[in-house]
Amino acid sequence: MLFKKLFRLLVLGGAMVGTASGCAGASQTLAGAEKTPEGRDGGASPDGGTAKAQDADGGTADAGGGVTGW
Amino acid sequence: MNGGPRREAGEAWAFRARVEREAARRFERLGAAISAFDPGSPVPALLERAAEDERRHAALCAELCVAYGQPVDDGVADEPIAPASLGPRAAVLYEMVAACCLTETESVATLATLLSEEAEPRVREVLHEIARDEVVHSRMGWAHLAREAAAHDVSFLSAWIPSMLSGTVDEGLFTRGEPEPDAEALLRHGVLPRSRKREIFVRTLEEVVLPGLESFGVGAGPARAWLAQQSS
Repeated sequence: MLFKKLFRLLVLGGAMVGTASGCAGASQTLAGAEKTPEGRDGGASPDGGTAKAQDADGGTADAGGGVTGW
Repeated sequence: MNGGPRREAGEAWAFRARVEREAARRFERLGAAISAFDPGSPVPALLERAAEDERRHAALCAELCVAYGQPVDDGVADEPIAPASLGPRAAVLYEMVAACCLTETESVATLATLLSEEAEPRVREVLHEIARDEVVHSRMGWAHLAREAAAHDVSFLSAWIPSMLSGTVDEGLFTRGEPEPDAEALLRHGVLPRSRKREIFVRTLEEVVLPGLESFGVGAGPARAWLAQQSS
């Protein structure tokens, strides 16, 4: 029950905050709708198509990190 | 409370004070970065306010750290965590997802769990004040992801979620250790026993974070594989 509530409160609540001003509606975003052919940066993938995460062995070819919390 | 549990509680609050100070720096930096490419976003204003929240949280955590007899470490690190291969905008998205969608969401679940238990009055006050703000801090990440997902394909994040997770958990979280005799006492002072912490972490991941990411087109396969590997 806690986790369902957290999903609504955080994920859905956050999506509403993000899309309330000047962007696609939350329902459009959450439905995984087709992306606009031209994004705000001209449709380019924000990573420039260069990101590589894990190689075949599961090792990181280009390390990213995380954020420690409570 | 004396001895080991007192020290353990003090160390936990000292660690939290540092985490909160680092979050303040991170949020300031990310707010400025988002303003540059998405001036219509409400997220930078939220990040600015969140940075102030985090400094206040750090002071609260430091107060408890001292009350349990531990020194406060004033050091602050703020190193960007995104992989070097990502462009600037993708790097901001990576960091917002890692810091807010993952870490702050997990923190909210931890705080909610702690608040469901009996705690010392001052500990409870501090937990309550921090929990109220952390809800907004988690939402900032989902808000930013929603905006980016509406404009771009954000599926590239999928392969990076394991890196974020590896950097979030401490080494011993998935280690099956000895029973913790002081668990009940530590709960009263705002510290979750390791087994409980692991359970909350995994359930929050499975029932909140990963479904949330999937709803924005970020596949959860690599993250589920990572989790299976940790749990085996």
